[in-house]
Amino acid sequence: MAGDSHSLHLEAKTACLGRAVDFVRRGAEEASLPPERAGELELVIEELFVNICHHAYPESHPGAVAVSYCIPSPGELNLELADQGVEFNPLQSADPDINVELQLRPIGGLGIFLVKRLAKSLAYSREDGWNRLRFGISSGS
Amino acid sequence: MALSGRMDAESAPQFDEQCNICIAEGLEVLVADLGELTYVSSMGLRSFVAAAKALREKGGELRLCRLRGLVKQVFEITGLIRSFSVYESPDAAVLGGQ
Repeated sequence: MAGDSHSLHLEAKTACLGRAVDFVRRGAEEASLPPERAGELELVIEELFVNICHHAYPESHPGAVAVSYCIPSPGELNLELADQGVEFNPLQSADPDINVELQLRPIGGLGIFLVKRLAKSLAYSREDGWNRLRFGISSGS
Repeated sequence: MALSGRMDAESAPQFDEQCNICIAEGLEVLVADLGELTYVSSMGLRSFVAAAKALREKGGELRLCRLRGLVKQVFEITGLIRSFSVYESPDAAVLGGQ
């Protein structure tokens, strides 16, 4: 990431989720994001991190997740989650029908949809074997 | 039942278990008070949807009350706020109707 960035490398295990969340919480504090934006950020990170844990790597061989952030200006936080798992662009996943009645709803499938609705400027790339998902959270979101 | 704190991948299984016990005991209407719940992820939403569907199959219902902040926002974004009967208070939820 460009600018003064901070990075944390973790294993793609749900047991590491708390460390990823603590890390981006510090970023939210440094960027002076209001509490409601920090809560949204936490949710976006959880959804993306858990998705990588469940789908990017074979269950028996969890790989790496790199979480990075930078603060381009006060009140703005840019983030990136990167993994070396199977190529997967979450932005291409179909949105669920949120108007269908409850009995016809699938039980899951809302995580990426929440990410798309809460994160700004979502962008995916596959670079040198890495899935890289970049997005922003800002105090005015 | 009153929920507090976080409803995520870690805590959702406890809610699932509690709901399963209630359903097995023959309860048809469950009221979940979310007033002290500060965070819900998609794993938490899964649990609400699963419990609601299980209850509806038995002619019952999962009613929610006191949605606040991020929790309310998540239910609104996903459209689930229209799928549940949502009330302002536990008493109103127990009484039912809209």
